[in-house]
Amino acid sequence: MARRVINKKRHLGLQQLSAFADTGRTFLGPVKSSKFIIDEESHESVVVGSTVRLLESLDLSSAVGQLLSEAVQAQHNTYRTGASTLLLLVGAWSSAVEECLHLGVPVSLIVSGMSEGLDSCIEEVTSLQVPVHDVFDHIDSTKIFSELESLNVSLCPFLQIASDTGLILKERDLKDVASQSLTTCSLSERPVKSAKLFRPQATVGADKNTSQTPKTLRNSLPADSRCRQSVLTHSRHCNREASDQWTSRHGAAAPQADRCGDLGELAVGLSHGDHSSMRLVEGAVRLQHQNTSVCQGSWTMPFTFDISRVFTCCLPGLPEAFSCVCPGYVTVVSMFSATVLEDLQNQPLGVVLIEGDLTENYRHLGFNKSANVQTVLESMKKLQQDSSEQLWTNHVLQVLVKFNVNLVLVQGTVSEHLIEKCVHTKRLVIGSVNGSVMQAFAEASGAVQVSYITQVSDNSVGRGVSVTFWRSSPLDVGDGISRMAILLKTEGINLVTVVLTDPVTAQMQTKEDRFWTCAYRLHYALKEQKVFLGGGAVEFLCLSHLQILMEQPLNKGDQTCSGGLHNTSSWLASSLALYRPTVLKCLAEGWHKYLSTVICNTANYSSEFEARTFIQHHLQNATDSGSPSSYILNEYSKLNSGVFNSGISNEPEQIPRVYDIVTPKIEAWRRALDLVLLVLQTDSEIITGSGHTQIKSQESEGFLFL
Amino acid sequence: MSRLEAKKPSLCKSEPLTSERVRATLSVLKGIVASCYGPSGRLKQLHNGLGGSVCTTSQSSALLANLSVTHPILKILTTSVQNHVSCFSDCGLFTAILCCNLIENVQRLDLTPTTLIKLNKHLLSLCTSYLKSEVCGCRIPVDFSSTQILLCLVRSVLTSKPACMLTRKEVDHISTLILRAFLLTIPENAGDHISLGNSIIVPLKGQRVVDSTVLPGILIEVSEIRLMKILPIKKSDSLKVALFRVSLSGDLSDTGEGSVVVSYGVSLENAVLDQLLNLGRQLVSDHVDLVLCQKVIHPSLKQFLGVHRVLAIDRVGAALMEPLSKVTGTQPIGSLGSISPSSYGSVKDLCTAKFGFKWFFHLIPNKATVCSLLLCNRNGTAWDELKLTCQTALHVLQLTIKEPCVLLGGGCTETHLAAYIRHKTFNDPESILKDSGCTSTELQLITEAFCTALESLTGSLEHDGGEILTDMKYGHFWSVQADSPSIVNWPDLLTRCGCGLHNSREELNWSFLRTSRHPFAPLPCLPHEAVGSANNLTLDCFTAKLSGLQVAVETANLILDLSYVIEDKN
Repeated sequence: MARRVINKKRHLGLQQLSAFADTGRTFLGPVKSSKFIIDEESHESVVVGSTVRLLESLDLSSAVGQLLSEAVQAQHNTYRTGASTLLLLVGAWSSAVEECLHLGVPVSLIVSGMSEGLDSCIEEVTSLQVPVHDVFDHIDSTKIFSELESLNVSLCPFLQIASDTGLILKERDLKDVASQSLTTCSLSERPVKSAKLFRPQATVGADKNTSQTPKTLRNSLPADSRCRQSVLTHSRHCNREASDQWTSRHGAAAPQADRCGDLGELAVGLSHGDHSSMRLVEGAVRLQHQNTSVCQGSWTMPFTFDISRVFTCCLPGLPEAFSCVCPGYVTVVSMFSATVLEDLQNQPLGVVLIEGDLTENYRHLGFNKSANVQTVLESMKKLQQDSSEQLWTNHVLQVLVKFNVNLVLVQGTVSEHLIEKCVHTKRLVIGSVNGSVMQAFAEASGAVQVSYITQVSDNSVGRGVSVTFWRSSPLDVGDGISRMAILLKTEGINLVTVVLTDPVTAQMQTKEDRFWTCAYRLHYALKEQKVFLGGGAVEFLCLSHLQILMEQPLNKGDQTCSGGLHNTSSWLASSLALYRPTVLKCLAEGWHKYLSTVICNTANYSSEFEARTFIQHHLQNATDSGSPSSYILNEYSKLNSGVFNSGISNEPEQIPRVYDIVTPKIEAWRRALDLVLLVLQTDSEIITGSGHTQIKSQESEGFLFL
Repeated sequence: MSRLEAKKPSLCKSEPLTSERVRATLSVLKGIVASCYGPSGRLKQLHNGLGGSVCTTSQSSALLANLSVTHPILKILTTSVQNHVSCFSDCGLFTAILCCNLIENVQRLDLTPTTLIKLNKHLLSLCTSYLKSEVCGCRIPVDFSSTQILLCLVRSVLTSKPACMLTRKEVDHISTLILRAFLLTIPENAGDHISLGNSIIVPLKGQRVVDSTVLPGILIEVSEIRLMKILPIKKSDSLKVALFRVSLSGDLSDTGEGSVVVSYGVSLENAVLDQLLNLGRQLVSDHVDLVLCQKVIHPSLKQFLGVHRVLAIDRVGAALMEPLSKVTGTQPIGSLGSISPSSYGSVKDLCTAKFGFKWFFHLIPNKATVCSLLLCNRNGTAWDELKLTCQTALHVLQLTIKEPCVLLGGGCTETHLAAYIRHKTFNDPESILKDSGCTSTELQLITEAFCTALESLTGSLEHDGGEILTDMKYGHFWSVQADSPSIVNWPDLLTRCGCGLHNSREELNWSFLRTSRHPFAPLPCLPHEAVGSANNLTLDCFTAKLSGLQVAVETANLILDLSYVIEDKN
């Protein structure tokens, strides 16, 4: 066993942390740059577009690296967002903390001061929360859809043909996409345009009539026509007037963030520049909402966006325009299997759901096969050419025929032989079906999932599933084998498939990751029923709050001002006042770095220095104004000041609001600080077992052996 | 052909403690444990250096379990500390540091081991009888009618482990939960013989600490998909439960060595399945509502039970079996044969609950002393530490109910005890000398070594370069910034003593712990009303600390007594 002291003059752990964290800098903010990671030995390369994928590809086998990747994974697995924030703050805080150590601040005081400061900031930023309420109120499933369909006429004329007649237009590739996902495509049309507005540096001049300004959004317009009308009032002058009004309204009282009551506005605000993904998410939410309100009937329960009932199907090689949202289940089957579709189309099918594999040798989990059982033949006449697999296949087919089943969904793998036999008898067997897809089919069709084909009974067969081609032409998913995309659905199924397409196969992963990031963002916003004002407002408030805390004298004896020290009797408690400003400054460094990185990434300022000066300027204004949160709200209502929307658009009044999710963001902060403080408090690394024999003699300096 | 190899001679080393290597490794070990001690203790990253999981900890149990020490002397030390920890959970670092300190201090004295050991034992008995006596000045009786002292005790355990990464609010939340969990394990009508129930810690990593909660009864984790499938269940006042220990997965029970030969057309699997279905029929005819199985239930049996509206939950796991059988009053069934009706038990209700991303079945017992503590923490390594700490806190509460008193924490007990021992041996050396037959110089030397060991143990609480003072009235522990000016108004510089009982405005005199003082009789702590008003005390478990003290001294004696180490090199 060896022990390495890592806290002598420089803190090795903190240095490692900031070195690791620096790699993820470019993934922060709406403008992300992808990275190529190249394996020098195998010359394989991979494009990564997110922090999580980056850390997956890096060698983080050192103790600190492992803790870092553990923290990022934990954040990602719980919230699916905030990993880049976490990584950046880890980097910023670990170098700031190291600076504190140089200045001679005791470790315990850094720990308590920083966690107290963060707690205080988290309390402070609640003033920037925007309640999200009733975003579905005006998506009444009967009324609104008629309006939306009338919208179709003007926005997507070609869709109308498909929906009206059901004809297949051979010349148009899009047509079958359209016929399946008619409502969704049209639904998402309106936000698409505002998406362009938000996309950083996008020059937006046209589309005036559909552009959404903050004011219109705030009013959460129910109908498109009113939206257009109100746009007319939003000239530059009107905008100013409106904000004046706003100030006078909130003049004396503490200003409050407005509410957000429109799904489209919320989605745009949460898209953070990735509008194409968010458009799909929004479509999925609307479909799901429509679905559940139909199913629930009169029974009203608050709608939650059930993310487990959203499924992605990645089809690389198709143009991006084919991405869409479909009710039901889209999957890819081989050309051979697809031949049965001609016969199965346009009729309700009986379905069997098999959890586990559908092979002869499959046994349920937890079943131990005995190795030492031999079967002997008593007489030669029973020796048939039929192998046991054939017998089994025949048995399966008998069951399927008996219960009139034409569709089998299997969670695991399926015997090739069986697939072949089934195709011959016009039955479709699909393997590797996701668990929640199975569940959705079970609910909608009345099927009961079984493990073995012998369990199938009348009760466990579902009815009424229909199958069609998603596209009529075959596609190649990147491996040179042609396949067909098909669509399975049944009446009232609570399942939405988001088809993601991209002409570049290498980008598929990134695209899927981004979709899920957006989906989870919207999920949390709807679940928590609140969002933060985004675009750096929260971080900025933290900075100005810390500024105020630094200048505030500590009240001695006040319990709340014990600086988070657990042990109030120690001398540390009395010397807290001395070190507090330094520690809080160190904490502020995290958000400073965050803001300047975002600003740099969006390329408004060429250097971090310029960005910092810019932040500092506003920080001064905010502190001078006396109430930083009102300052922020005021700036926010102006929107063109550039603090919170720097470089997003050339025409300020066309910028929609930006939102952030609450708990995932705060948890990312907490996790980042926890990790830094955990490493800070660690003074030695103990290498257990035989690991220390690997330590080479030249490295052994600094090691102690037991 | 067998070949005989001459055995290597055993290696014999005399006076092992005098060896430089032993001293060096002892001091490394002491460095490790001492740097972990207390609420501002430094953490250790334990890992195997080959990319294995990393454990960040400052707890003796995690630390010592992973240290692979080679020298027999260190082995004695770590083993006895581990033994202590396995019995009392708390005060492991205290024991280890005190033992190292004692060995180190006593070694410097030029005395025979016999004298050392004899006098050490005397001093130890002085300590224990003082701590156990009514006049003991660092002990507080526990009033079970209020939660104050118990909460302070739990909070002290939690705050002494910084790797749990808890904020103040979170410490309060978890302390309350632990106390509530503990209270749920106490039976309502206690007879002469009380048997406490247990609290099961259910992991929920990745969530916020404040999302942790305590529920009476048992939580069984299930996947959501399984849950939705089984949900419809008939409701009545109580549910009849069968608990299976044997696997119902339908595989053949161990067929032993050799091979089983069956004729073509005979399927053993089907035979077993038939047997399972027979069992299912019996369960249905016995009106069982809920079937729990430690291992796997065959899907066909599950389907059969489901059709007959019997809820089947499998893969419960071995850890839950004992509490399950306790809660439901069932006899775990170990065979597929017929079931005696006496094996069945019952639960009051069953519901489903979702915490974080996990779904659970929540078994609500009729009357039982089992509860589930759903513990959340942000990251894995902090969760592991928090779990260990919570277990320690629960154990400490159990020990406290047996011996209803607590010791002052934060170093005050140790400095107070040292002051008492010094005073005792200075004023009344005859009683010891008479028994042991040692000279008074020897006694003085050993007393000094013993007391310094205790005092420098409290010095290990300080990791940021502070200095330790003690007051000359109560003998409590006070900490001050290093390099404080020598002439200073102490009451201004100091705030409270280590345990939080006294504040600096009480007209006390202070002296540095490292300087020599005239022995004084430390006064006992305040009358009870003052104790009642102090709501932020740092407290230690009485039983654990007492045992730690004994183990430390006895282990030190044992190590000092070693004259030879004989190693078998074969």
